Amino acid sequence: MSRTRALLAKEVADLRRNPALFVPAILAGTLSMILPFVIAVVVPVLAGERLSESSDFEIALEMYRDHPALRALDPEAAVQAWIFQQFLVLLVLTPVTGAMSVAAASIVGEKHARTLEPLLATPLTTFELLAAKVLGAFLPALALTTATFGVYLLGVVVLAEPGAFRALLLPPSLAVTFLLGPLVSLAALQLAVCVSSRVNDARSAQQIGALVVLPLTALFILQITGMLRLTMPMVGAAALVLVVLNVGLMLLGISLFDRESILTRWK
Amino acid sequence: MLAASHLTRRFGDRVAVDDLSFTLAPGEIFALLGPNGAGKTTTLRMLAGLIEPSSGSVRLGTDVLTPQTAPRLRGRIGFLTEMPGLWDRLTVRQNLVVYARLHGLPEPARVVDEALETFGLRDRGRDLAAELSKGLRQRVALARTLLHRPEVLLLDEPTAGLDPESARDVRDLVRRLRSEQRTIVISTHNLDEVERLADRVAVMRGRLVALDTPAALHTRLFGARVRIGVRQPAETFVDVLARAGLSDVQVQDRALSIAVDDDESATPAIVRRLVDAGADIVSVVREQARLEDVYLHLLGRS
Repeated sequence: MSRTRALLAKEVADLRRNPALFVPAILAGTLSMILPFVIAVVVPVLAGERLSESSDFEIALEMYRDHPALRALDPEAAVQAWIFQQFLVLLVLTPVTGAMSVAAASIVGEKHARTLEPLLATPLTTFELLAAKVLGAFLPALALTTATFGVYLLGVVVLAEPGAFRALLLPPSLAVTFLLGPLVSLAALQLAVCVSSRVNDARSAQQIGALVVLPLTALFILQITGMLRLTMPMVGAAALVLVVLNVGLMLLGISLFDRESILTRWK
Repeated sequence: MLAASHLTRRFGDRVAVDDLSFTLAPGEIFALLGPNGAGKTTTLRMLAGLIEPSSGSVRLGTDVLTPQTAPRLRGRIGFLTEMPGLWDRLTVRQNLVVYARLHGLPEPARVVDEALETFGLRDRGRDLAAELSKGLRQRVALARTLLHRPEVLLLDEPTAGLDPESARDVRDLVRRLRSEQRTIVISTHNLDEVERLADRVAVMRGRLVALDTPAALHTRLFGARVRIGVRQPAETFVDVLARAGLSDVQVQDRALSIAVDDDESATPAIVRRLVDAGADIVSVVREQARLEDVYLHLLGRS
């Protein structure tokens, strides 16, 4: 693993010299963060009507009355808590958009810069190379997710009704943020790195990698329409599937990584 | 010791390298010569364990290079690729430290300090690689190739595009490495460089066209010649030489170029005959065809 760490340190140093790569992710994260505040805080103030008085949010109120930790909340706080929790999925996904461009360029970028061949001439194994490339994109994304969650939580504490923030600290919310989100990001980035080692253009890798994000987007839609209520057993099952998927993607990446084609056919 | 045995590499129907065999000793500089597409880079990549031969094998000491042994054996090989391949957004020092760690060297910072000192890069350690001149980039790439003190060095066009001073520095370095008993393989188009550096030359065009020392190739193809400068018009002495059985004599103003079987034994007798015939000898030199002539002759014939 020392070689993975060595290459990972290079990836981090490279990113520090080119922080602009994460600007789209930061912008997307900021916008995703503003949206729920506009819906839950700004619109009711401008409309002069409380969300809890609207029939549109009856599902939210029902769900929250069922939850022991949130039962004591004021109805307005309960609706706000529901909205902030639904948007959490979207928020968790945004950092991966920035990391995707890093992962997509990871192999094909090295090839185009003519830096891959010297790298392959070292004792570095394919697993070590791919692990460093995936982690080089994943760890900054994870840091961004954590920072985004912290700012989001702080915003809810300060701007929302008292107690609404508790929804973000419920086990399913934390599991989505720090377990499912990262596992989906990891899978998406692994796929992007896999594709990056097979295509001659980083954009192809970016587009294919983005496909993995679709299931979480579907989850967001199912949740917000009330068709699905995320429970811990569901989170556990999804996490298990994602762990298997990630292991499978790493094995697939190793088997697809063809040093010879990369060196002899790519121009 | 580095040995290639019947090394062959096909890409689809195309045979890039065909049945190449050689054994190199420690402290030997071996040059691969050939036109573009002759298989030089493919040969180097097979020797570096980057691509597998279609058939044949590479041995490093007693170890055979296979996909299983390649990661370990790559630690004993230094491969300078055709392009320096530096990470432009990293400093010179950062570039080298990453490679020192990839090779698992203890105290990578100290090793890099030494390399910067050895290659005259001490003041450039904090410079971004993108800011370096082509010559400096090549020097950093060489430093990177040698960080782990490999026993075998594979250099793909090490002086291509360098100014004469930088190219001379690289040649000096290669000679120094030879004196440290490293086995060195150089792929190049620069015949002058081969002539100055190489102990043996392999002329390739997919398959091996010729393999020998530069001097032996000269002699094998063009025979030995002696060039004798005289004060008088040179044609005066052609008959004298003809009577001595020397039929291949070329006259060049005040010099005679004479083909001989063995220049060491024949030259004193020729000089004696010319002096007896009244020639005032000005100079006597062993004449050699340029390697360029040998190379073009070999490839023309192949």
